[in-house]
Amino acid sequence: MEILRYAIYRFGTMLLTLLVVSVLIFVIINLPPGDYLSNQIAELRASGQSSGVDKAEFLRKEYALDRPLWQQYMIWMGFMPGPHGFSGMIQGNFGWSFEFDRPVAEIVGESLWLTVLVNVAAVLFVYLVALPLGVLAAARSRTWVDYTSAFVGYLGLATPNFLLALILFYYGHKYFDLPIGGLMDPAYEGEPMTWEKVKSILIHLIVPTFVIGTSGASAMMQRLRANMLDELGKPYVETAIAKGMAPARMLTKYPLRVAFNPFVADIGNLLPAMISGSVLVSVVLGLQTIGPTLLTALKTQDMFLSGFVLMFVALLTLIGTMISDVLLVMLDPRIRYEERKR
Amino acid sequence: MFNLRSSLKTLATGAVLAHALSLAMASTALATPAQLIESGFWEQEVQSGDLPPVAERVPEVPLIVDLEAKGRRFGVQGGTLNTMVTRSKDIRQMVVYGYARLAGYDETYQLQPDILLDFEVEDNRRFTLKLRPGHRWSNGDPFTSADFEYWWKDVANNLLLNPTGAPDYLRVDGALPTVSFPDETTIIYEWAAPNPSFLHSLAQASPPFIYRPSAYLKQFHADYADPEKLAEEVDYARVKSWAALHNKLDNMYKFDNHELPTLQPWINATSGKKIRHLFVRNPYYHRVDSKGVQLPYIDTVEMEIVAGGLVAAKTNAGEADLQARGLGFRDIPILRKGESDGAAYKTYLWGNGTASQIAIYPNLNVNDDQWRQVLRDTRVRRALSVAINRAGINKALYFKLAKPGAMTVLEASPFFDPALREAWAQYDPELANQLLDQAGLSERDSYGIRKLPDGRPMELVVETAGERQEVENALQIISDDWRDVGVKLVMRPLDRDILRNRVFSGTTMASVWYGWDNGLPQTYTSPAYLAPTDQVFLSWPKWGQYHQTGGDVGEAPDLEPAQRLMELWHAWEAATTDETRTKVWQEMLKIHADEVYAIGLVAAAPQPVVVSNRLRNVPTKGTWAWDPGAHFGIYRPDEFFFEDGKG
Repeated sequence: MEILRYAIYRFGTMLLTLLVVSVLIFVIINLPPGDYLSNQIAELRASGQSSGVDKAEFLRKEYALDRPLWQQYMIWMGFMPGPHGFSGMIQGNFGWSFEFDRPVAEIVGESLWLTVLVNVAAVLFVYLVALPLGVLAAARSRTWVDYTSAFVGYLGLATPNFLLALILFYYGHKYFDLPIGGLMDPAYEGEPMTWEKVKSILIHLIVPTFVIGTSGASAMMQRLRANMLDELGKPYVETAIAKGMAPARMLTKYPLRVAFNPFVADIGNLLPAMISGSVLVSVVLGLQTIGPTLLTALKTQDMFLSGFVLMFVALLTLIGTMISDVLLVMLDPRIRYEERKR
Repeated sequence: MFNLRSSLKTLATGAVLAHALSLAMASTALATPAQLIESGFWEQEVQSGDLPPVAERVPEVPLIVDLEAKGRRFGVQGGTLNTMVTRSKDIRQMVVYGYARLAGYDETYQLQPDILLDFEVEDNRRFTLKLRPGHRWSNGDPFTSADFEYWWKDVANNLLLNPTGAPDYLRVDGALPTVSFPDETTIIYEWAAPNPSFLHSLAQASPPFIYRPSAYLKQFHADYADPEKLAEEVDYARVKSWAALHNKLDNMYKFDNHELPTLQPWINATSGKKIRHLFVRNPYYHRVDSKGVQLPYIDTVEMEIVAGGLVAAKTNAGEADLQARGLGFRDIPILRKGESDGAAYKTYLWGNGTASQIAIYPNLNVNDDQWRQVLRDTRVRRALSVAINRAGINKALYFKLAKPGAMTVLEASPFFDPALREAWAQYDPELANQLLDQAGLSERDSYGIRKLPDGRPMELVVETAGERQEVENALQIISDDWRDVGVKLVMRPLDRDILRNRVFSGTTMASVWYGWDNGLPQTYTSPAYLAPTDQVFLSWPKWGQYHQTGGDVGEAPDLEPAQRLMELWHAWEAATTDETRTKVWQEMLKIHADEVYAIGLVAAAPQPVVVSNRLRNVPTKGTWAWDPGAHFGIYRPDEFFFEDGKG
């Protein structure tokens, strides 16, 4: 019951937080001078094209960009009727993207699962590489195993992602005939899932996964190694070894579980990272994820699109922290929600 | 590939089938080649009766191209051309490359009728446009003066579609033309005052389309459409009004509606937004070679959207048959390496159409009083210019392949004068120091940086769009050059839009952009962009605004040479002979060279153009220019072909 009450309370604060976030997002997006359409008009004039200007003027009126900022916000959220009646976020209308000239919902919907796919692949890669290496480095600390894995890890962390990507693309194409950029052969785009298509996606995933993964893996490795070393110095470990427990079993049975605690708390951050992770890498590698879309939208001040994506990520972050909080309560008896002392 | 092609064709012929084929017998005019040859690509459709034979598809008077007379080879139809763009909205490049215009430029920048059979001009006020009888849209609908009438009456002057009324480019001194449509193939535009740029604006890379496929668009126009069906369509498209729907669907330049009929050589055959867009030959295209083969030669174009940074790598891997977009000077080594590694392409080096590759624009309207006063001093601008070692920049950044010099027109323009390119472009720190001393900036601080009259150090903040590495490298070199004469350069990379907005509002001291977009002006080119008529010339944003808004915002030009530029521009507008126009141009260019309103660094940097070894008729030497030029447009990509039609 305690938990249920807590969850309801959290849900209430979540909605409030979202409201505040929405105001912040809207203000920040509109901080740079101008808006998408006035910039577009300037751009058209700069290249001597007067023909598109009237279209942009029309859109300004249609989407109420000619009104004061607070009204634009209210219309966007749906608290106030726009030029064609109420239709904002609350009414389920996420707005229109000027840059892509399509409804925001369509753009986000399309790239969402690809985004999740890329980031899940990267996270899996990180876990598969970092966990064994981190444990090994801790168990064999200050040996060549430790130093080599640290060296490789730092190399992965230090090489700029885009450079690594270009190098891998160039040589991957040259020697293994790997495709350059993209997430699938364009021929499969919009086609139903077939074995061939899956294969194409997997082949295209090799380089991005590796590039995104290397930087994440080394950080995780070092953290795990540090946590493990903390644990390994504790008396119960010595006791276990003295009693003749097999080292490998001993490692995984206690110290690893304790060292793993922080990673459970991290689950909350995984959710938003699934959407907003690896933005820059996606831009460089030309992946059709939400990242490049968001970056373009922010750069061109395509406010409905960037606003929605940011709101979405904010929502996921809140849900994620809520999940991890609840999980931690269930997992760790030491954590309790005290009644607030007044 | 086979099934792909057939599905493509169903898409395209679906539109062709959309109407009943009631074709007038094509009267074979004198000019038609004796025998038109049916295209293999559409053969099946013609045999099954879905498409009329080629003789009935081309206009009664097609535009006949004698390729041998042009010094090119006659080609064969067929093949697929692969090319890449970097943004999904760049599919509009097909309208640029296709370059079917009412009237367009040829390779010598002379205006020729293209879609139009002919045009007549009476003292630049009355323009009579003649259409080709029997010309059809890509879906087979007749293309007549009714399409011009629809645009003029129901689109341009419909306040729901265009809240601001008819577009500005048709206004001369604020007055709109009278437009009349005497018969099916004649359109007359008439102004009270001369409008010498009218036909030339129609030949732009991104032209104003003064016509629309009326038969198709009427189903989305409230004055013509069935209200219930229209409401359904509006709902389905998830827009808010019929006007929004119409505006979304009639973008002839954006090329984003595959159902919108077109007159371009290739039709968009891909619906929605994809990574790869396919374009197929327009069966009704109006150009034919003198052997009776309908253009374009190339059957399909595949345009793939890739991340900007990958264009060079993918081209190097041989994934493009024709590629210049997304490739810059710095990619030449990797492209050459691909050649030597045995990729099946050649890299041509074309010229570049902008007046300067990199130009620094001191902002004469900057808000800071002190800086404004300093930057308005011609001596200061000249000093900053001669303090720059242009030869060094050319050597370090362009392997000596560009031409160092001040900003002026390129050699291909009749107004080119080497003296103007050399004006204030020599490397002479001595002179720069003298000029700055004369300008009253002789005080220096302990670091050797000059002081402004109010005692602040002379730190000039130069803002860039942050898009081009070469700009930042050049500024690094310049900051050393300027330090030698006691000026500190601070570089600030921003974003394109933010940079513009900051300049327009007077926040920016100096900015970097390309030189004039059009470095190839001809006698007919309006010199408006040399006069303070527009805020986009980043040295005088407020003077430009003043002119653009009729004096509502901004400031009137208060420097004598700038006022003279305005007078000269008006003189050009009123000029009746080419001689006068040339004189005006020369004087205006001279003022720019003397006053150094923009500090040009180098011009004519090579633009790599990658061409497949199987592709023919692509000129080895050309100019890569947006306007005039439409990139590949004036070189007529519809005449490019693959050896044996396989590509």
